[in-house]
Amino acid sequence: MALEDKILDELATVVDEAARNSEPVKMLTADYPEMTLEDAYTIQRRSMARRYARGESLVGMKMGLTSKAKMEQMGVHNPIYGHLTDAMMLGDGAEISAGDYCHPRVEPEIAFVMGEDLSGEVGPREALSAVEKVCGALEIIDSRYQNFEFTLIDVVADNASSTGFALGTTTAKPDELELGNLGMVMSVNGEVVETGSSAAILEHPARSLAALSAMLHERGEGLKAGQVVLAGGATKAVHVEAGDQVELEVDGLGRIQLRVLQ
Amino acid sequence: MDERRNEVIVEVAERLWKAQFSGQVCVAPSEDYPKFDVAAAYAVQNQLIQWRQTKRGLAGPRATRVGHKIGLTSDAIQSWLGVSEPDFGVLLDDMVVLDGRSACCERLLQPRVEAEVAFVLGSDLAGPGVTAADVVSATDHILPALEIIDSRIADWKITYEDTIADNASSGMFVLGNRPRILKDVDLRLAGMALRKNGDVVSTGAGAACLGHPINAVVWLVNKLAGFDQKLEAGSVILSGALGPVCDVEPGDWVRGDIAGLGSVSVRFQG
Repeated sequence: MALEDKILDELATVVDEAARNSEPVKMLTADYPEMTLEDAYTIQRRSMARRYARGESLVGMKMGLTSKAKMEQMGVHNPIYGHLTDAMMLGDGAEISAGDYCHPRVEPEIAFVMGEDLSGEVGPREALSAVEKVCGALEIIDSRYQNFEFTLIDVVADNASSTGFALGTTTAKPDELELGNLGMVMSVNGEVVETGSSAAILEHPARSLAALSAMLHERGEGLKAGQVVLAGGATKAVHVEAGDQVELEVDGLGRIQLRVLQ
Repeated sequence: MDERRNEVIVEVAERLWKAQFSGQVCVAPSEDYPKFDVAAAYAVQNQLIQWRQTKRGLAGPRATRVGHKIGLTSDAIQSWLGVSEPDFGVLLDDMVVLDGRSACCERLLQPRVEAEVAFVLGSDLAGPGVTAADVVSATDHILPALEIIDSRIADWKITYEDTIADNASSGMFVLGNRPRILKDVDLRLAGMALRKNGDVVSTGAGAACLGHPINAVVWLVNKLAGFDQKLEAGSVILSGALGPVCDVEPGDWVRGDIAGLGSVSVRFQG
């Protein structure tokens, strides 16, 4: 049974304030175990509305739980999505402050920049034809829940842990790359910590884009030209702390760096 | 001690030989021989290879050496075994499965599959002091490969010494048929995707193998120098896994894709 409208509003305020102040809160489902996935996406949208009211604007979407291992770990069969705003955008080489986050982790990703609008139930090929360019990306994810305790539904309500992202400056057209199997190497302070392939992203990042289009379609929404889509993490997320220099290299897409300050 | 040491080497080799050809896994040598060290383990491996080359009463043609495999090339596996270097085993011609063909499960006890880069040498390489540049010059071509690793030891409960004795847990291997030139491929950033029955089950990249597969070959040739051995022209080197291994069962089919190198596949006879 879905939650009352008033409660959805309250919970949207709770997650928005938690993210805004980097102050962890108790997972929402502890008090509202009846919360549905639908409710969670409604909370996500209402929390985004609060951000827009403060002047942030939507720049794209992110996909989460795109690897088989993560889906199995969370006991689900579908990925999830979140919204990205301009306030989350970092430049390549950006410096972030550890103090601005609760439990920050970094994931190596493949990002799409849309050249055309995309909506509806589409296949990976059709989805890819709407893409203008591809680049590598580092995504910072942060859970705003205390003790890192949450269910899938809590994560969705918390905007799929979206926090920040840096896009690589090297870009390519989708057909210029072996997009389904790009090697990805993530290092922290010069030491390789994760290696992977874009094949880990729903077997091909274009499938992730198609899945996003289909999920947005359920709510009568779609992607717009110019928007960014983070297709999902290619490896486990890596915990980072103050002093860390994080670097991602993607085959054919150069490198992206982030520095974590105190 | 020395006499007992030689006895132990033969006993352990017998145990692993019996497990291999009876199809019954054995207890780890390290459990029964607490002083079994790395040197003894390589001596066992050498004994087993010699026996396979002379057949020792088994039917069929004698096995011939075709190259080496390098194992334990990821940081994760090395720290799990508490070591800081890889190990190596010997590849024999009777371990070869042709690309796209079937591997005979009767010869395998607890098979697992990993995708690797195979180096085929155009000239001899002898350590010590071999560098990455020497490996590049000596390599004729590279191929995508699947290694079917196997352990004769119950439940894969192995120590570093156990796996060395067991020929670095080698089983069979499959080489792709389309050669590539080493200098044309950025192996460090080459993506790897391993599919089992059509689903991606393991992903990785070249950097997972000692930072770069060439590093593994450098290690091997310098290590072999300590045994007064070299790598010969024409020999095949399986350089090490580019991502996690996957378990396989009869009836499974597995395909490995390495970006820039193409694919290689094998079926496991049901």
